[in-house]
Amino acid sequence: MALLEVKNLDVRFAVRGGDLTALRGISFELDKGERLGLVGESGAGKSVAAFSILNLIARPGYIAGGQILFEGKDLAAMSERELRKIRGNRIAMIFQDPMMTLNPVLTIGTQMVEAIQAHRKTNNKEARSIALSKLQKVQIPSPEKRLDQYPHELSGGMRQRVIIAIALLLDPEIIIADEPTTALDVTIQAEIMALLLELCEQDNVALMLITHDLGVVSQVTQRMLVMYSGRIIEQGPTREIINDAQHPYTQGLINALPQMGEPGQKLFQIPGSMPSLKNVPSGCPFHPRCSFATDQCRQVMPEYVRSGNVDVACYEVSNLIEQEKRMQEAGS
Amino acid sequence: MTSPLMSIRGLEKKFDLSGSLLEQLQFEGGRLRRKQEAVHALNGVDLEVHKGEALCVVGESGCGKSTVARTVMGLLSPTAGEIHYDGERIDHLSGKQVLPYRRKMQMIFQNPYASLNPRMTIQQTLEEPIRFHHPDWKTDRVKAKVQDVMQSVGIDADWGSRFGHEFSGGQRQRIAIARALAVDPEFIVADEPISALDVSIQAQVLNLMMEAQEQRGLTYLFITHDLAVVEHFGTRVAVMYLGRVCELADTRTLFSNPRHPYTQALLSAIPKLEDDRPNHIRLQGEVPTPVNLPSGCVFHGRCPYANERCRTEVPALITTDGGTQVACHAVEENRL
Repeated sequence: MALLEVKNLDVRFAVRGGDLTALRGISFELDKGERLGLVGESGAGKSVAAFSILNLIARPGYIAGGQILFEGKDLAAMSERELRKIRGNRIAMIFQDPMMTLNPVLTIGTQMVEAIQAHRKTNNKEARSIALSKLQKVQIPSPEKRLDQYPHELSGGMRQRVIIAIALLLDPEIIIADEPTTALDVTIQAEIMALLLELCEQDNVALMLITHDLGVVSQVTQRMLVMYSGRIIEQGPTREIINDAQHPYTQGLINALPQMGEPGQKLFQIPGSMPSLKNVPSGCPFHPRCSFATDQCRQVMPEYVRSGNVDVACYEVSNLIEQEKRMQEAGS
Repeated sequence: MTSPLMSIRGLEKKFDLSGSLLEQLQFEGGRLRRKQEAVHALNGVDLEVHKGEALCVVGESGCGKSTVARTVMGLLSPTAGEIHYDGERIDHLSGKQVLPYRRKMQMIFQNPYASLNPRMTIQQTLEEPIRFHHPDWKTDRVKAKVQDVMQSVGIDADWGSRFGHEFSGGQRQRIAIARALAVDPEFIVADEPISALDVSIQAQVLNLMMEAQEQRGLTYLFITHDLAVVEHFGTRVAVMYLGRVCELADTRTLFSNPRHPYTQALLSAIPKLEDDRPNHIRLQGEVPTPVNLPSGCVFHGRCPYANERCRTEVPALITTDGGTQVACHAVEENRL
């Protein structure tokens, strides 16, 4: 059994004039110690997916259907009280902006001790020594000193290290990281990503990494999901998708990267932009931007088909697979 | 070689942090002392931009790349140094005298959500610079010019009556580019024009800027932190660190053979699709504050090759055999 199993998750936002569907039929699994990447552009629903796992979506958002099974128990049906035992304890979260995550008027030490004591019965001294050991683990220079410092005294990279240390405090099974390095410079980003990867491997922690950077996904994760307009359109082993993407959107996303183009030549571009939740196109949400779109695409959302080890929701891909099958049958 | 279109000489910019005179006074050891502090954003930058090229300036936050852009455009006045446009010095000119240059030099900003006036329609936004720089033009001519420029950047004519907030980030950046092109400039300073955009939209905007360059023979000063974009877009690249240029080379040369240790670290930190693991060069420590600059080479505290000379003597830009200009004692002494 997978550690985390999300089944047919629907998330909606109740706004004036009806519900907006932010996630539609999201299903995926996360095994123990596995690293999973969630990729998509802004508005694809990747952050909503991450937040809804811990039932952190605030009103007017709500989980309209589906299950989030963590070790067999449904997080979507749990009471706030039961959830609190899991949040930060069994499943930890790392957010994008380290300055927004840390409390500016408490020292790092106080915040870390607070987090430990919320879940475990320990005295201050013990909690402080756990905090110190985690700060050492994230290779922060002079960790004893940091415990008594305030967040504003640290640089952006150091703050993100503190955040990772806080996520590790209670030895969680899963870390959900929502764009953990987007606010940082390239060299700091590389160091934080390498650190996160090392720590997850050391303690066999599962990582769900939300990012828009395909390079980071290919460096860190084993499997990836590509999201578009609230749906998963492609999921499978990272290497397989990066090397041979099946869905036209994923292909476009990869080919639009400057490193894929010849210097000075025009880049591949996907026309148009991600639809807003208010007017999601009928059928496959990508069809208005897709060069393969047919009437079928405009009317009915495609089911997932398997190509290699990858699940794709695209008629073009399923037609190609059918064709191949027929050719093989004809050949034999 | 022809003379450069834009030349920046010994540019320095300090931002005063110390406030008013009373705030500067401090009681120290029984005496009143006046204490002054400044951010040293630029410390002697020399750059030349040649006609028709795209010179990219890259670096991490705080390296002074945006300050270069703003000083060149006259949005900030330099503390020291000179800026020449087409052979004429422009940094000391008065508002009126600089007007003809403003028409030739236009800027594209990073955040298209902030750079468009929310109370103006797109038509008004695009008409404003034309009316300002061509006060003698009749309304018909202005409108025709707006139509023209809208068409050339792929904006629907019926967008004209709408407001900025009705558009997505990519569309807004398209409008911002149209506004810059409306007065037929020769030289465009683009300060992180695609950083706020999604990947698929970045490609659209980059393509648009390259098209405009081809059709109009534009010259770009392109400021960015994204090295992958530079490799694709730039003719030459200048790498900045703490207010100094540490390496300047042709794009191809810089990416295939980076010389400065900082450039090497920066290049290795780009996550690539073919990587299975992060494999960057690990630097010690973090970027020092530009308030108290390190002595000697500003990079010495993090550099694995630093020696005594690096700690005391500021390296000058030297030209190597490969044509790369690099400011590094280790390269100069063939230690690297």
